[in-house]
Amino acid sequence: MNHKRFLYLDVIGIAASIVLAVVVGFIIIMMVSDEPLQAISSFLLGPFSTPFNLSTVFNKAVPLIFTGLALAVVFQSNVFSMGAEGQLYVGGFTGALAAAYIPGLPVWIHLPVILLCALAGGAMFGAIPGFLKSKWNANEIVTTLMLNYVGIISTSYLVNNWFKDPGSGGFARMQYFEKNLLLRKISDSFPVHYGFFIALLSVVVISVMLYKTRLGYELRLVGKNEAFARYGGIKTKRLIIYSVMISGALAGLGGIVEILGVHGTYKDNFSANLGFDGIIIALLARNNPVAVVIAALFYAYLQVGGQIMQAESDVSRELAVIIQVLLVLFVSAQAVFNYFKQRAVLKHSQSHATKGGKKDHVA
Amino acid sequence: MWLNVWAQIADLTIIAVLLRCMTPILLAAIGGLISDITGVTNIGLEGLMLVSAFTSIAVSAASGNWMVGVVSGVLICVGMSYAMAFFHIKLKVDIVITGFAMNIFGSGATIFLMSKLFQATGSYNPSNLDKIPVVNIPFIENIPYVNKLFSGHSLMVWIAFLAVLFCFIMLYRTPYGVHLRAIGEAPDSAKSLGIPVGRLQYSAMAWSGVFVGLAGSFMSMGMTSMFVKDMTAGTGFLALAVVLLGNRNPIGVLIGSIIFGLAKTFETIFQTIPNSPVPSQFVQMMPYVVTVLALVVFAIRKQNRQKKGLVAPAAAKS
Repeated sequence: MNHKRFLYLDVIGIAASIVLAVVVGFIIIMMVSDEPLQAISSFLLGPFSTPFNLSTVFNKAVPLIFTGLALAVVFQSNVFSMGAEGQLYVGGFTGALAAAYIPGLPVWIHLPVILLCALAGGAMFGAIPGFLKSKWNANEIVTTLMLNYVGIISTSYLVNNWFKDPGSGGFARMQYFEKNLLLRKISDSFPVHYGFFIALLSVVVISVMLYKTRLGYELRLVGKNEAFARYGGIKTKRLIIYSVMISGALAGLGGIVEILGVHGTYKDNFSANLGFDGIIIALLARNNPVAVVIAALFYAYLQVGGQIMQAESDVSRELAVIIQVLLVLFVSAQAVFNYFKQRAVLKHSQSHATKGGKKDHVA
Repeated sequence: MWLNVWAQIADLTIIAVLLRCMTPILLAAIGGLISDITGVTNIGLEGLMLVSAFTSIAVSAASGNWMVGVVSGVLICVGMSYAMAFFHIKLKVDIVITGFAMNIFGSGATIFLMSKLFQATGSYNPSNLDKIPVVNIPFIENIPYVNKLFSGHSLMVWIAFLAVLFCFIMLYRTPYGVHLRAIGEAPDSAKSLGIPVGRLQYSAMAWSGVFVGLAGSFMSMGMTSMFVKDMTAGTGFLALAVVLLGNRNPIGVLIGSIIFGLAKTFETIFQTIPNSPVPSQFVQMMPYVVTVLALVVFAIRKQNRQKKGLVAPAAAKS
């Protein structure tokens, strides 16, 4: 099925799904809005209208790239972790502790320490469901979903009680970090923070890891056929833990980058479902690390478009959510894709057969 | 403070709170169970509940009749479940994706409609709502404990218990139930015997919609009398955990719901006590920790039984 020649079918199919979802969205806008054209143009063109809006798209895409990447890795090893949300909180929190409470380090040491702490925090929290899965085969969908709450609530407890900045009122947060620790913006007119480049770097690292190293090969093999991998001598149980830990580390990194780039300190409930959105990003990208960047940018574009639409017309941004849902369903409709692929393969082989050329074994 | 807790236990307030807390979990879990038993793990319970909670309160407020509200909530839930089944069975969308899409859709669509129909952003509380009635059993008003135990609960509480019975009879005492269980355990063998797997999965999802719909309508018209955005707050996921915890069995689901209900009850009780020494977050976290622990215990038990060869090893995906 993953024949290179038929990659274009995937691309066309995804494009068609996008068009279909947007068209359905437009139909709904036509029905509910008094000013549909204004709403549609704000939604589609708003994100490109000013450099500031465009930079918002990039900034919103940064955490999504991290969580999407996190889930792409576990999904490739066929572990259905839903735990990026909790890992993002825990990783963000441990990173933030390092940022707020290690005094006197020069920035060029301090920043890597912060990032490492976030990586470690996320990885450790990810290791729990990984361990439970590999040791006792505990259903990872449920354990990760439950551990999300554990992570979110316990970090919330800590920031509300132990590490709360006395100056913060109802919305608990830590003390603000020193200014030089925060990720700088590219320019004032185009304020994308440098986290975007950390995200791109992570994509490169993960791509190399997945496709050019032994670890990556084994992870993908476990995902494709666990029994085969086990008979081939791969320690599948350990690999499952590794893959969830890598995923957790990426989610944690996403958390701290979001904190350093956008918020300036750890705030209670700072992630609005970034981890869950990452699931959709990974699925849209078919678990391909490079495609994750495109999917995240597109998803962020829809979100920003929705916000602008809400501000400039009478349609609320939840409509963008509905478009996202349709999009996800259409894109992941395997049956439709397989049907077209099969037809393409059939046509391809038939045209070869009639030409009397050599038989082509693609099916 | 322990005295305070004890007082609430002794005067049976705790039972009333427990029944109120466990009912939505139980109903949603029964819904989840019926689809899960056919091999379709419904992660979309959360979104379905939201849709039903919103529909039923909106229709009930508009029509002035709670029954019309509940029925329309259930119907729309059945419709949505059917749509999920269509995407999963016909278009081969992964069930996890379908479920998540449903959750996001439920949250987004209800907020969207709330702002569109009622110009409300956070919550919608209609003034003249016909709530699901409370059942007061006659003749026992004067018997102190018995009265408190059985009277004054919402009708939906009793429906929830009946749902357990109904589900048990359907799954274990009818040919239809045998077929449902068969296609979950060995879809290929079932198919080879001429059981229409796809059609039965559709019908199981429809049943799932019925019970989840009831759970949703209870949340907005029984537990409370308003719709708050994202008001389910993880109840659907808890229900999903209860299904696995209860070993995919109606009685197990009932017991699991009681455990979760108790955890929720203590959360509520501790929150009402002033200066509680236990941080509210810890109490809040209890159901989730209990789930993970119980799931682990359950998985270990299952593994041990497999080792002894009492059960055939589960299929790779379970």
